[in-house]
Order: sequence, then C-alpha cells, then structure tokens
Amino acid sequence: MLKKTVIVRPELCVGCMQCMIRCAQAHSRSKILASAIREDILAKPRIHIGVGPEHKPFPNKCRHCEPAPCQEACMPWAIRSDIAEGLKIVDPARCIGCGMCAMACPYYVIRFYRDKDAPERPAVAVKCDGCHERVAAGGVPACVEACKTGALTFEDVNLYLKEGTNRLANAAYGVRA
Amino acid sequence: MRYVVAGLHAAGRSACMELRKADPSAEIIGVDPSPEPVYSRPLISYALSGEMSAEAMTVAGEDFWTGLGVALVREKAVRLEPDRARLTLASGKKLSYDRLLLACGAKARPAGVGGIMAREICYFRGRRDLSEIMARVRTGGVAAVLGGGLVGFKLTMGLLARGMTVHLIVSSPRPLSLNVDEHVGAWVGERLRDTAGVTLATNTSVTAVEPGTARPLKLSLSTGNVLEVDLVAAGKGVIPETEWLADSGLERDDGILADRRLRTSDERVFAAGDLAQAPDMVSGERRINAVWPVAVEQGRIAALNMAGVKTPYAGTLAQNAIPVFGSRMISVGMVSPAQTRDCDAVVTGGPRETYLKLVFREDRLVGAVGLDAPPRLGELAFAVRRRLRRRDIPDEWLDNPGNAAPLCAPGASLRQNARIW
Repeated sequence: MLKKTVIVRPELCVGCMQCMIRCAQAHSRSKILASAIREDILAKPRIHIGVGPEHKPFPNKCRHCEPAPCQEACMPWAIRSDIAEGLKIVDPARCIGCGMCAMACPYYVIRFYRDKDAPERPAVAVKCDGCHERVAAGGVPACVEACKTGALTFEDVNLYLKEGTNRLANAAYGVRA
Repeated sequence: MRYVVAGLHAAGRSACMELRKADPSAEIIGVDPSPEPVYSRPLISYALSGEMSAEAMTVAGEDFWTGLGVALVREKAVRLEPDRARLTLASGKKLSYDRLLLACGAKARPAGVGGIMAREICYFRGRRDLSEIMARVRTGGVAAVLGGGLVGFKLTMGLLARGMTVHLIVSSPRPLSLNVDEHVGAWVGERLRDTAGVTLATNTSVTAVEPGTARPLKLSLSTGNVLEVDLVAAGKGVIPETEWLADSGLERDDGILADRRLRTSDERVFAAGDLAQAPDMVSGERRINAVWPVAVEQGRIAALNMAGVKTPYAGTLAQNAIPVFGSRMISVGMVSPAQTRDCDAVVTGGPRETYLKLVFREDRLVGAVGLDAPPRLGELAFAVRRRLRRRDIPDEWLDNPGNAAPLCAPGASLRQNARIW
C-alpha cells in the first residue's frame, strides 16, 4: 500500500502545464532542461493536462491502481509492482508496445513513445513511475515540485482521506467555529 | 484448505497469485502438463516476427512458483469426478481438492481441410506450434495463411518478416471481419493488397492439401485455382479443452458454463480463461472471449470466490489491441458488422488521420473501434462496463479525443469516484 502519493486537486489547476515540462525533464537522460530538449530521444511527460468539463484543465496521471487493469492486461509482464512499493512501473526492456495496457486503463494515462531505455523499439508504453528514484532519495515527484497552485501535492494517503472525512462532516453538519 | 489449479497460463497463474494473497496458509497445487516454464502465449507472434527471442517469452520460472508456495505437478489431468472432489492425472495418480479451478484454456480449431497432406497444416497457439512453423520457414519461400482473424494477420506479418511470400486466404469478404468494423477492415485489406509479398484472397477457402511438385504442398482453392507452397498455417479460432470433462457431469456448451461468480454447476469447481463460458458484459449471454486480459481477470475473480470472498464478475468483454502496419488498431465490445446491425454509431477523429467509432445500442455504449486513435479504449471499455449513455459523453470529449479529460474526471460523466468539495 502506498503511504505517500500525489494528490490531485483539479479545482486548483490553472493549466500552466509546468508539471508536464518538469515531468519530461525528470525522465530525460540529462535531467537538465536545456540539454533535455536536445536529446535524440525526447523525454515525454507522464502527466497530462486534459480539457475537462466546462473546458477547465484537468491534471491526469496514473493512479497506480490495485489491482491494476494495465498490469492484468500486460502480456509480457512488463508492468511491475516490485520496483517500488505500491507503484506500477513499466519495464521498457520487456514492453513490446502492443497497446493492451492502454486498452485496459480507464484513465487514459498510458501513451506510446520511443523511450531512452528501449531505443530499439518504435514505441513503448510510457506512464507515471511515481518518480520513485527521487522519492527514494528523499525528494518529491517532479510534477509536485513544479506545481505552484497546490493542484498537485505529495501527501500521506490516510491524512488526505481524514481531511475528506472532515470535509464531509462539515458539509453534513455545517462548519463549527 | 487445498486448492488445485489445472492449467497455469494466464488465468491459472493470476488465480494462484490471488489465492496466495487471499489465503496465506493454503495448500495450492498447480497442475500443468507442459514441462517448460510458463510463458506468455500471445508473444509467439512477436517471436515469429523476430521482435523478441523465444526465451524472452518466459514469464514465470521455477522460482516464481516456489516463491508463491505453489506445488507444481507436471502432468495432464485426464478425468474429473466432482461428486468425489477428485482429479485423476495421466499417470493414474488421484488428487483430491477442496476447491478446483479449471483453467486449461483452449486449442486451435482444426482448419477442416481435406487432402492427404492436411496433417501438414501448422497452427499458431503455443511454443510447439511456433517451432513447427520456424522449422518450415524458408527465406524466399511461399507460405499460405488460412483465416483472416487476428491470428491469421499476425502470422502473415510474421512470415513476411521472415522473408516469405504470403498468400492470406480468407473465407469472408474482408480480413478481420469478426474483430473490427467495415472501415477498419477495408483499410487493413487495402494495406495488405499494397504490401509487397502479400497476396490477399477474400471469399476463398482451401479445399484440399496434397503433395506438390515444385514445392512440398499443393493447395486446391474453392475458386478452382491451385497454389504450391512451402508452409500452410491456419488461424481459425480456438476450441476450449473440455473433452476430458465430458463424463464429469459439469454443464457444458461451447466451453464450461460458469455463473456470475465463475462457479461451474458444481459448487467446488470454478472455471476461468479460454474454457470458461461466462456472462458477457454487453449481451448478457454466456460466451467465450478468448483474450488475455479477460483470462487474467477471470483467474483473479475465480480465486477470490474460491477463497470464500464473494466477488461478482462484471462479465467478459471482447477486447483487442494490435499494431497494424505501424498503426495501432484497437477494438472493444461489439463492433463487427454482424453484431451491430441495429446500432447507432458515432464516428470521431482526432488530429491527423485517426478514426474512432463508438457503437451505441438503445442509447447505451456497447463497443468501440479505433485506428491510430488516441489510446483511450480503456476508458471506453470502462464506459461500456458502466453502461454509459450517449448523452453522458460530453461533446468536448468527442470533439477532441486526444486531449479531453477522462470520462471519469470529477464533474464528468462517470462520477463514481466523486468527492465532496
């Protein structure tokens, strides 16, 4: 079970797309923006700003479901849950780019691009890996670091759920002073 | 509690994993006749075209099963006596169980072709078929592929990649007629006709296979023509492995009939995968959708029910995704012309040359097919499960399927996970 994860508050998103840029940068070879844009295989963002209801921006990223439909659909077992706890991570070396995972994903968060870790394949599945390396080093995911409005935060799941419970209680009984 | 899982491929393997999670102390016995490590069957088409090595197909080695605590019995199950809860193996050994999962899968449907060399027809189902085909592949040779389904298509592309000239012989008017709609089928047909090295013959079947003169095999076609080839391979669909269950008393139709909890007519026996005929999500009738994700999901749901966790199964759903000539073709639910005669369709394209068709019956989404469309069929499959209506799909989604937020975004149509603000 995930302890801390990226919490998305779409109502706070202004659609600046900085999370997409920082995400791509964090998944580039050099991890420096100025040189990342010159790499032969361009790193792609794993978070996307979709056009939501009433044309409002909607930050859309992998939820790391459990059980994960993409993992069930994956024929070569390329989506692994043993790389980082609670995260479903694509192993580009095993991915054959068949598209089954994207077909199983209800959230449209798996895209297909060339990847620096599997340069010989025309396209492999590219999705959020929870920035597990940054988190293991004590950091926060790149998209969270980029977000200036609080639409993306890195929080303890249980505390976030508790906050939701409080909101529900306030909505039901009225906010008490 | 002793669980026996017969068949350790897609469904059996996922069932074992879920059983171990649900019941850490249970005794789990896996029965599978293959002496080789468990591999992923759909990958044989990638091995044929040379995109991956045959070894890379292996997904679960010996250490996977020991790690999971599953005892392996490398034998074929030959008889089932549900009233005594006993499985007989090929060696005569008897195996008793508390709960049994039948996940023996299916085998290739015979091509139904006469002639004295009909035994030379190769099928495309497992590793053995792959090596039989590979033994007959001659660079610069001629091959015939029977069947215009997905397997026939993958065989054609694989043999082409191996340097053979391929005759694709399809009995229906279009290739992929059962998997996609007219538009995509016609597009694939056109691309096949334009591809050097491929000859597409529609409305044609093979009547006999006989020894040839210039090449090993001679095919007589229903059009009266004769074709000499090095290799004949057939992809005519699958039939469930259920003959050995004929005297078990379990209810059978095409496959083993399974209910909404994937139980067979005996309450200690469950079925999952290509042999389970479970309720279809769209039509509600019991049918077999012999595809990988369905098998894995059924294995998991069956395992939960076996372990006593009452879990309803949402139903099987036809779904496929394959790369076609560098394009990505995807289909889900009911899309073939035969099934969608009384349905409405909404066709939308994204940027560039993309095609995405949503099929509605009585205002409910029942299927979708896409060609190079944004990879969001998963969302549509989800919407089919939730029986989404036409008016629930916002216009901005249809106008711009490439960038629209998912249908399950807060405030959108699938407000199943809505939060209180």
